[in-house]
Amino acid sequence: MSTPSTARGHPTTGEQKPEHASIRIYLIVAGILSAVTALEFGVIYVRRLAPVLIPLLLVLSAGKFALVVMFFMHLRYDSRVLTFLFVAPLVLATLLAIAVMTLTGEFLVFSR
Amino acid sequence: MRVALAAVVLLAGGCAWGGPMSTVVPASDFARSILGVYAIITWATALIGLTVFVALGYIPGALPRAAGRPPARQIRGHTVLELAWTIVPALVLLVIAVPTIQIIFRTQSQAAPPRGLAVQVRGWQWWWEFRYPDLDVVTANELHLPVGRTIVINLEGPDVIHSFWVPHLGGKRDVVPGRHNRIVLTPDRPGEHWGQCAEFCGASHANMGMRVIVQPAAEFDAWVARQKAAPAEPSGLAAEGKTIFAKSACVGCHTIEGVSAGMLGPNLTHFGGRTMLAAGMWPNTPDNVAAWVREPQRLKPGAKMPELGLTDAQANAVAAYLTGLK
Amino acid sequence: MAIPHALRQHELAHAGQATGVWSWITTVDHKRIGILYGVTAFVFFLIGGIEALLIRLQLARPLNTVISAETFNSLFTMHGTTMVFLAIMPLNSVFFNYLVPLMIGARDVAFPRLNALSYWIFLLGGLFLNASFLVGTPPNAGWFGYANLTTRQFSPGPEIDFWMLSLQVLGASSIMAGVNFIVTILNMRAPGMTLMRMPLFVWMTLVTQFLIVLAFPPVTVALIYLMFDRFFGTHFFDVAAGGDLHLWQHLFWIFGHPEVYILILPAFGIVSEVLPTFSRKPLFGAQIMVYSGILIGFFGFSVWSHHMFAAGMGPVADAFFSIATMIIAIPTGVKIFNWLATMWGGTLRATVPFHFAAGLVGLFTIGGLSGVMHASPPVDLQQTDSYFVVAHFHYVLIGGSLFGILAGATYWWPKITGRLLDERLGRLGFWIIFAGFNLTFFPQHYLGAIGMPRRIYTYNPGPGWGFWNFWSTVGAFAIGFGVFLFAVNALLSLRYGAPAGADPWDGRTLEWRTSSPPPPHDFDEIPPVYGRDSFWRDKYGDDRGRKPVPRPAAPDPHGVHLPSPSHWPIVVALGLLVAAAGALTSLAVVLIGAAVLVAGAFAFALEHHRTPAHVRQDGVLGVDHRKLAMWIFLGSECFLFGTLIATYLAYKGRSVVGPHPHEILNLPITTLSTFDLLMSSLLMVLALAAVQRGDRFQSRLWLGGTALFGLIFLGFQAYEFTTFVHEGLTLQTNLFGSTFFVLTGFHGGHVTLGVLWLLTLLVLDLRGRLGVQDALKVEVAGLYWHFVDVVWIAIFTLVYLLP
Repeated sequence: MSTPSTARGHPTTGEQKPEHASIRIYLIVAGILSAVTALEFGVIYVRRLAPVLIPLLLVLSAGKFALVVMFFMHLRYDSRVLTFLFVAPLVLATLLAIAVMTLTGEFLVFSR
Repeated sequence: MRVALAAVVLLAGGCAWGGPMSTVVPASDFARSILGVYAIITWATALIGLTVFVALGYIPGALPRAAGRPPARQIRGHTVLELAWTIVPALVLLVIAVPTIQIIFRTQSQAAPPRGLAVQVRGWQWWWEFRYPDLDVVTANELHLPVGRTIVINLEGPDVIHSFWVPHLGGKRDVVPGRHNRIVLTPDRPGEHWGQCAEFCGASHANMGMRVIVQPAAEFDAWVARQKAAPAEPSGLAAEGKTIFAKSACVGCHTIEGVSAGMLGPNLTHFGGRTMLAAGMWPNTPDNVAAWVREPQRLKPGAKMPELGLTDAQANAVAAYLTGLK
Repeated sequence: MAIPHALRQHELAHAGQATGVWSWITTVDHKRIGILYGVTAFVFFLIGGIEALLIRLQLARPLNTVISAETFNSLFTMHGTTMVFLAIMPLNSVFFNYLVPLMIGARDVAFPRLNALSYWIFLLGGLFLNASFLVGTPPNAGWFGYANLTTRQFSPGPEIDFWMLSLQVLGASSIMAGVNFIVTILNMRAPGMTLMRMPLFVWMTLVTQFLIVLAFPPVTVALIYLMFDRFFGTHFFDVAAGGDLHLWQHLFWIFGHPEVYILILPAFGIVSEVLPTFSRKPLFGAQIMVYSGILIGFFGFSVWSHHMFAAGMGPVADAFFSIATMIIAIPTGVKIFNWLATMWGGTLRATVPFHFAAGLVGLFTIGGLSGVMHASPPVDLQQTDSYFVVAHFHYVLIGGSLFGILAGATYWWPKITGRLLDERLGRLGFWIIFAGFNLTFFPQHYLGAIGMPRRIYTYNPGPGWGFWNFWSTVGAFAIGFGVFLFAVNALLSLRYGAPAGADPWDGRTLEWRTSSPPPPHDFDEIPPVYGRDSFWRDKYGDDRGRKPVPRPAAPDPHGVHLPSPSHWPIVVALGLLVAAAGALTSLAVVLIGAAVLVAGAFAFALEHHRTPAHVRQDGVLGVDHRKLAMWIFLGSECFLFGTLIATYLAYKGRSVVGPHPHEILNLPITTLSTFDLLMSSLLMVLALAAVQRGDRFQSRLWLGGTALFGLIFLGFQAYEFTTFVHEGLTLQTNLFGSTFFVLTGFHGGHVTLGVLWLLTLLVLDLRGRLGVQDALKVEVAGLYWHFVDVVWIAIFTLVYLLP
């Protein structure tokens, strides 16, 4: 599945990354995404999981997020520079969002 | 000791550092705490500044020697030097940071002190409302405080963001609608201190001043007693003024005990006892009050007090009445 | 031998050589765009300066009556807004545009038409902001417009609308330019120019552009909230409905603090070019200068609440931001010392640029030190909102940013115009500006210390502020005179100035290699780069006197081709302006503007669809320019959606009235729509794979399928919105309504744009105009589409699933 525009898409690190995801991988990812989504929907009705519900949902959705970014958006196979250019702002934005929520009194641990 | 350092700096400056709004003439524990840190920081930054300017002074001296010389040695860096001027400023900052953190926590107590005198401050466009809930006193634009007692100043909205700032008594704190901010301080000597709103709040932000009178306990108690007593019955011109007041739109906005119950403007029950008028704009004299009552909008841009259409005679009468409300 | 990435297979054009107004309107040449920015920004700078002089006239004496209160409040608002957004930022853009391609050995920026678009949006946005004067309602709530003073309740007229709309328009211009320059710098460097061999000015530009693309989204969102409150009755800053006024301040300063680094880092970069040239020594500790710039940029995102020490955030927050602010002083201080060490032992030449650069070192030190004072909350509680902080920021903005700009202007003037400025007149102008500036602003530290608040149109004589206010005004007029002398010098130089050669200063960097001014194609041959200060090496050899062995310059087998001029940038900009103006007039005008904007954008996007030179745009990093640009844009979008989501979560549970989320959100339906959107991503990758292998049937099938699934998602959302309205939840009902509809609505807007994009690709495909060579365009569309999908994954969890 190599193409002119992606053939050069490799870092000069000399690392041997697979060039491209296959259709099979896309279908597997799509299957996982569907299953996890159904799982998330189900999990909120399971009372026994209530104490860990929030971290569980966050982890599951983060997993879906990562799968789409790594495979559908091809980041796993592309230059490391692109990973940095996306992940750094993502992390920074997340930290700032948490900071804003804390400062406006969302997490009472740090409120006045 | 720290305040002494500050004093040296100030005297060395040679300028007049006093003045009713000065930030460096402390009259409370809060202001003194701040000044201590202020002094340390001023010395530290002056030291760094001096270093840089001495180094810059090299330049004029170096210029004449430049003519005709071949290009200088192409030095690209020096690790030890660069480490030095990274670490030394960091240490200087540490010297600043430690007292800073200490004073932050010392001056922002989490719990209200149990025996403090509570003052509720509400910032309006463009005047200050002061209530003493424990003493059942309401006044405006002039705050009286007893020396030596802990004061808990609670800042509440209700319209836009203002900032309560009385420099002699310490730093400022915003009045934020929807939030409850607080200043805790103990004034440590009697005197008259000026304050002003310090967060832009609209047309007459510049005209939102206040006076804070710090008094010995006995005088403060006497003032409180006067505030709680009913105002004396007016006579003569003042009585005419009271009649005009009671029949005019004034009653819709202002409260005078026993006469009106308006809630939109300053409480005027003991207006005559205040030194200033219109939130620190002019001295409280009959002439000034008459002028104000005739044309508030011209005198204070954007003022919410409407033109009342009073004649000069009526305005003089009202002024006599108001200034008599001691 | 690899074909150099800087080559473009464009049709030969005479763009750079044409004269006449139309050639300037349609120019896409980075040099011309730089000049356009320069002239426009200088005019706005003069306007901002006049506003300042009027302010100073009014404040020269106590109880003065030269300017009314209302006018004064507008003057300081417009002065600040103009100087930040219409003067300093675009003056920096002059150097980004003109110099960055030259300094990295490129022939233009990555997206020349986008570059032109940025300029036209800036011009029209600036005119729109100043049009407020013409209708008598200039903005009047300060350049940072704190809510709730800016809400409709307390500012009923159009003043704030002008301010808010202009800033959103200007922000778009900046973000586009930011993406453009990042791609240019990363992907278009000459052979041999590694990142660490780039000139410091290019490095500081790179950091600045990252700050721009990441910092503008939060303020864009804040302005959107304000716009919705003012126009559509939402409650973001409505205290009675549970709104938090600190939210505005946080969002504004999360932008506002990086903004000041956006204003100063280019000046730092200029000083790092000027001082070495006129010391005939390399920049001392160049690597550290790069790292300190990066650290300043990065940590610039961690200090914003030092603007809020009086706001009452509590001691823990105060302490955190205090320490963070002090930490950021360290890399900044390192720069000062490295500059001093650069000059030390150098063969100094006291040219005018050197004066301004050395002046910056001294004046920024003062401004930086007063900044350190502000970093201590106890001290800041006395200093903030007083003339002390006014003194501080004018020292860093004038003594820092403006002096840097003037150093750059006088340094690169010969390169841009081909003529020399008069040195004596320049030095006179420098000293007058320097003296006037210090007279204006140094006493303001004192005025703040004796309690003069800021933003007051007049003051009583009692506190003793009159004396130094008077002399401050005198100083301000001196600055004005100095600027006038600079303008005179410039005009005289253009008319009568001595011709400058290619290298009048014996420079160190690549721009001095080409003629003054450069030819339209910048370089006859792309110069090879052997190290830092490579031009100096070419002339004098390295430290041991060895000249580099010249690598043969890469041949241009097809000659030099230049990007073609285009009229679509100005059309798109006009559409945007009309739409913004429509917000103040009527819906019909908004729609007309939007129509022009959309039509223009389509034409812009498809203008070069079949141009062979546009098919492949690979760069140094081995990535196509457009793909790189999309990833950078997505990083910026993380900040946009991050802000929207953070607000939703911060306001969760604070609605004063119902309906509340658990009462109204429909989880089963939304789970289905989530599934639909996820599957659309699958269809998208299938579409891309089909295009890449030339499978025409499947490419159309899957592109159509993706668009269809997108439309289904929008259908679900339309159903949800209408159901909610029926059940009593609108934008105006409560805080939940406001945050929910704005967050999901903007996401839906992104989906809509994505569907339009996909349908466009589908139509192209159906007409046989989407081939294997266009796979990259589909890939870039796919990246956008998948991103919109992952944002929905976050929204689905955080809004719908979380209890």
